[in-house]
Amino acid sequence: MLNFLDTLNIAPLASLEVGQHFYWHIGNLKVHGQVFLTTWFVAALLIIASLLATRKIQQVPKGAQNLMEYALEFVRDLARNQLGEKEYRPWVPFIGTLFLFIFVANWSGALIPWKLIKLPEGELAAPTNDINTTVALALLVSIAYFYAGFKKKGLGYFGKYVQPTPVLLPIAILEDFTKPLSLSFRLFGNILADELVVGVLVLLVPLFVPLPVMLLGLFTSAIQALVFATLAGAYIHEALEGHGDEHEEHA
Amino acid sequence: MDIFLQLASGASLIASEMAEAAEGGFGFNFDIIEANLVNLAIVIGILVYFGRGFLSKTLGERSSAIEQALSEAERRRAETAKLLAAEQEKLKNAQAEAVAIVAKAEGDAQRAREAILANAAEEVARMKQEAAANLSAEQARILNELRVRIAEMAMQQAEAQLPGRLNDDAQQRLVDRSIALLGGQ
Repeated sequence: MLNFLDTLNIAPLASLEVGQHFYWHIGNLKVHGQVFLTTWFVAALLIIASLLATRKIQQVPKGAQNLMEYALEFVRDLARNQLGEKEYRPWVPFIGTLFLFIFVANWSGALIPWKLIKLPEGELAAPTNDINTTVALALLVSIAYFYAGFKKKGLGYFGKYVQPTPVLLPIAILEDFTKPLSLSFRLFGNILADELVVGVLVLLVPLFVPLPVMLLGLFTSAIQALVFATLAGAYIHEALEGHGDEHEEHA
Repeated sequence: MDIFLQLASGASLIASEMAEAAEGGFGFNFDIIEANLVNLAIVIGILVYFGRGFLSKTLGERSSAIEQALSEAERRRAETAKLLAAEQEKLKNAQAEAVAIVAKAEGDAQRAREAILANAAEEVARMKQEAAANLSAEQARILNELRVRIAEMAMQQAEAQLPGRLNDDAQQRLVDRSIALLGGQ
């Protein structure tokens, strides 16, 4: 009884809500509503930016058009670096979307004062700090590289599993599972950890002390978006090239 | 006593939480500290302060680079158009020259043809003449030959017949006649 009361006493001090979600019930599914809300917000942000950029296109880009063209150039170079001059073009939209979505999602979590808006349960945060989002993105990458491989080589794609030597077959198969796993966990872990650290620090010392961590979080968020997009490109490239050099895991 | 205090505080906490839950739904939380507004504002300020400079510089450079590339392309296009016009002019001149050359060549050819034809006609006439000359010379030569031949044959005939016809009497007469011819009388 006393213990129970003690925890209640401490509760308001550490009211960090971890693992609490704002559930929506859709059919038999329970979905995390707060993730959907922020995902829609990020998607809307990107769509609005794209619309603004393409509303009146000029020969010499100015303002939003210039910014978005710069972003496009960035993701195009990213895709080209990973996939090579010959193959990269059809994959720019996919990799670019991944990068922009993850980047904006991460930064929205780090920059927008979501806590101003109160939900019945759970709290708004970056969509990427929910494992479901990152798993979905990682599985999309898996589907993409399988599609790339099969489209390029047909059933010959399976040859890559036994290519250097059949001894490595189990490892090659395992890789198809570790790739989405590492992709999703890396992104999820980094973003969630960053937000937790900031949250805890804010609880302990509300002012100024969390600043370095927040800035570091911005940096990490950007890097994670870059890493995710780069690895997606690398995996697709690997599927297109067949066996070949292993790509370093970045973080 | 202490227990009661704790109980009381616990009850009040539960009550407040109940109230919060009952309030439920969506709402706004204007607790500046809890919403981390100050830190976020500072972070955004830092980001804007440093990011704006970098971004405006980068984007400006990009924009001006595109503008420069465009004007460069425009300049090159104009230059090329000028060059094209000049080359077209040259082409026209060359075509005219070609026509002139063809006309001149045709004239030359015509003249050469006429000259050659005239030459050939002359040659033919000359050859005809030569052939005629040859023919008459040959005729003369053959006539001459025939004459010689006939003379020889006559002489042979004469010599062959001579011993039959010639006897002393006849010889005597011949000699006499010859002497008479010489005018001895």
